[in-house]
Amino acid sequence: MSGPSREKHAPPSLGARGQAHPVGSPLTGESLLGASRPLRRRQPQYTYRGDRRLALVIPAAALILALSIFPIIQLANMSLHDVTLATLTHDWDFVGLRKYQELFAHPDFWKILGNTLAFVVVVTALGLVGGFAAAVAVSPQKRGASFLLGLMVFLWAMPPVVVASIWKFLLSGDGLVNTILLNIGFSERVGFLFDKDLALWSVALVNAWAVIPFNALIFRAAILGIDPNLIEAAEMDGAGAWQRIRYVFIASVRPSTMVLTVLTVVYAFRSFDYIYIMTAGGPGTASTTLPYFAYVEALVNRDIAGGAATAILALLIVVIFAYVYVRDLRRGEPED
Amino acid sequence: MESTPNRRGRLAGLAAWGAVASLALGACAGGDTDVTASPPPGNDEPVTLTVWHYYSADGQAVLDDLAAPFTDRHPNVELEFVFIPVEQLTTRVVTAASAGTGPDVLLFGASGLYDMASSGAILPMDDWWSGYADQDQFSDGVIHRIDGDIYAVAAYVNLIGLWYNEDMLSDWGVDLPTTIPELEAVMDRAVAEGINGITLTGVPGVESQWQGFPWFTSHGFSYGDPQATAMEDTFTMLQDWVAKGYLSAEASTWDQHTSFQHFLAGSAPFSVNGNWQVGAASEVEFANSVAPLPLSANGGVLLGGELQNIGAFSEHPDLAREFVEMTFFSAEGQLLLLENFGTIPARGDAAASPLIGDNPILSGFVAIVQQQGRPSPSPEVPSASVNEVENLVGNYWSRAIARDGDPRGLAADLIAQLLPLLED
Repeated sequence: MSGPSREKHAPPSLGARGQAHPVGSPLTGESLLGASRPLRRRQPQYTYRGDRRLALVIPAAALILALSIFPIIQLANMSLHDVTLATLTHDWDFVGLRKYQELFAHPDFWKILGNTLAFVVVVTALGLVGGFAAAVAVSPQKRGASFLLGLMVFLWAMPPVVVASIWKFLLSGDGLVNTILLNIGFSERVGFLFDKDLALWSVALVNAWAVIPFNALIFRAAILGIDPNLIEAAEMDGAGAWQRIRYVFIASVRPSTMVLTVLTVVYAFRSFDYIYIMTAGGPGTASTTLPYFAYVEALVNRDIAGGAATAILALLIVVIFAYVYVRDLRRGEPED
Repeated sequence: MESTPNRRGRLAGLAAWGAVASLALGACAGGDTDVTASPPPGNDEPVTLTVWHYYSADGQAVLDDLAAPFTDRHPNVELEFVFIPVEQLTTRVVTAASAGTGPDVLLFGASGLYDMASSGAILPMDDWWSGYADQDQFSDGVIHRIDGDIYAVAAYVNLIGLWYNEDMLSDWGVDLPTTIPELEAVMDRAVAEGINGITLTGVPGVESQWQGFPWFTSHGFSYGDPQATAMEDTFTMLQDWVAKGYLSAEASTWDQHTSFQHFLAGSAPFSVNGNWQVGAASEVEFANSVAPLPLSANGGVLLGGELQNIGAFSEHPDLAREFVEMTFFSAEGQLLLLENFGTIPARGDAAASPLIGDNPILSGFVAIVQQQGRPSPSPEVPSASVNEVENLVGNYWSRAIARDGDPRGLAADLIAQLLPLLED
């Protein structure tokens, strides 16, 4: 079914743990059932003493401690004190959980939390579906795939500030999108960015659009890792295009999907630049999410403790999401 | 740090009418500072003087011209202008102060004054000011104090007025409005012509507080006696304007630059905007000018402008003071800024320049200072709450334009959040 020449030119596959294996190598199974699941690599036998290995970890651990752990601890510390820009250089008064109480009592808090969750759901769902669809579109067999792939890499590499500015221009009241809509029969302009009921969704759509290239590249790598024998077998069994996508592609990219879901949720949750440029969180607080609210609290209102409390809350929510998905991911892995 | 202002520190001495007197009387006598008389001795040692600011790219070029007399006098001094985005400046200054560092000279907005003073990034400049030869050229309105100590001086005034398209008004045969009903009548005509009536800023944040202040004070609001009914009337007016097409709901996302671009593109006969737009306005083909906003007797316009002081951690404080005196505080420097940015000089002699008298737009802004000028930040707002108050009010201005709530509900919510912030 699969000739030697085909195996020779087949791209490397991406296994469940992300290692690349040449298709048809001893590291991959030969049966259809096992084709998309590489055999586990044999663990190397370490010969170093434990303390030596520990020493090698120290530089990385020190960096993480200095650049990640310490700032988070400091952020949490600030959220428990009365810190404003005016008192930043003074001793901070301990206020316990008062900043969190003020946050929960803020008239717009629940609206902003709802905005955040809605934003994350839209960006994640569209980002994953769109990314997978784009990955299928740029699979090697398709005509123009190279062009699409290049275009996606270009879009992915564009700075968010540029992308957001372009979309702000396109979606403005007299922008291209509204001009087209008026020409095809709309009676009035659509307030994509200034209608309180549309602004959040508009920014979320643009944010999802922006994450699609990255997701597509990851999905594409996973799709290229599918054993061609599996696809060929499905075709011989009479599977149509949709059935191949559903029963072969989607099933095969599941490990990548799990990882991408975590990454996209985190990406969506910490999104700031698109909101800042396109709507400034407005009108009012219609498109304000928790990260943007943290910015407003800390740097506009200059209530650094309030901003820190908001950021800590956002961080906790992201950690919960990440934990759930990482746990599921591990459950899907083979036992050692 | 010599003193730390208490929480209730107020920006006292912002008597706008003092500025008016200075600008109107203008030509009072007053000698130029004598710092240019001769180079100081021992100026061969290389020195770097850092100046932190948030001027635009074009503005930085003007800063170089502004500094020319100083660098001619001090060839050994290298000036390092450091641009910091306006929204980051105060934070950067305060964090630098916490590390015991900072610039030699600071150009900053009034909203950052309290934080900078409280953190020790700037120190009182009373001794400097009392010994400054040209201090009588400056009215008390541009001298910014906290707890009675002078912490900064504004070299010029920025403010907003009613820009209008003279060609449109002339074609329609209508007069310049002096009341809100007259303004609405002209805007009604504009809508009949297929355009909007007015452009203004509604982006959430402090910019919108500036745009809203004239209108809600015109309806009787004041920070000293915050009443929901005045805000409700203002929001009702705004939403009525949006409903009738006088004002685009898209204004809820416009900053001052975008708002003025729409005016320059001919989308409305009026724009509420600032004197810094003089350059942009001169480049369009239609005739335009500026008039006072058609407010009631209660209405006022906030007087802004960048403040100057030297940094508390400057290693060359004498040179830094001399730099400020030879540039921002000098008549020549203020006229250079006037020519490039349309800023209204704070010095009486500079304000009497023909550059203003012969320019109807700049004269219009001087008239607004005289008729409607109000100190900024508003003295009734506790210094520690200025940013939060201005941001909050700006957000509700934005929400009103976007019709994100009915006027009564918006006004009630705003006042409920405002009152605790206005308490001592």
